[in-house]
Amino acid sequence: MKYMLMMNAMTTGDRYAGVTGWQKEAVQVHIAFLKSLTKSLRESGELVTTEGLAVPDQARIVRAGKDGAVMTDGVFPESKEFLAGYWIVDVTTPERAYEIAAKASAAPGPDGSPLNMPIEVRQIGGPPPEFL
Amino acid sequence: MKYILMMNTMKLGVDPFPGWSKEDIHNMIKYMIDFNKKLKAAGELLSAEGLSFPEQAKLVRAGKNGEPITDGVFPESKEFLAGYWIVDVATPERAYEIAATASAAPGLRGEPLNIPIEVRPVPSGPPPEIM
Repeated sequence: MKYMLMMNAMTTGDRYAGVTGWQKEAVQVHIAFLKSLTKSLRESGELVTTEGLAVPDQARIVRAGKDGAVMTDGVFPESKEFLAGYWIVDVTTPERAYEIAAKASAAPGPDGSPLNMPIEVRQIGGPPPEFL
Repeated sequence: MKYILMMNTMKLGVDPFPGWSKEDIHNMIKYMIDFNKKLKAAGELLSAEGLSFPEQAKLVRAGKNGEPITDGVFPESKEFLAGYWIVDVATPERAYEIAATASAAPGLRGEPLNIPIEVRPVPSGPPPEIM
């Protein structure tokens, strides 16, 4: 079963991926932790893919207008949480996906202690078959 | 340049296809499948996924000893990711164009949905100035 683990850690105006205002060393420790998590998932064969996204000021909302015209807008609600990055893992149970999410959650923060940030975990797969 | 195109269109407890007939749903899915095929044929599609409904989502945190705590509550206003594409294109404008095509997927009675699609660059690593 494939699960997507999402860090929705960025907000409007965040200059860096949830780490704006941190000391450089704290950022490096944080990123090294996440990289080593990715490496261990790759070694265990559980990692399908992982990506980190650009900061919110580079985000645009695009809609089709009349006749399919491209309409872009850069204004988001202040409450919006932006996806900072994600992992897709292939695991045999949801519990294993939650375990991996908890590891990501415990990434070190600005003072080196675990952030215990929320990680959204969702199974990959489109609408249930009754819709198709 | 890599871009992610996200459909943040689902809400907890909200029917994603209100009033749609089975045919409407089929047409929308067929549109998306054709759209994916075209992107793939153009060599622009790196990946695409659809996610399960938000009712199955969990918000997980590490507890004191690193154990998973799975009873997190999502904010009521939260818009859930329904699916995404990652495309490799030469310009942001091309990414927006692709997003507009996804936005115009047919909905109720075949009318274009014109749903908002969030488009963001996917850099190859963290910004060098913070490393």
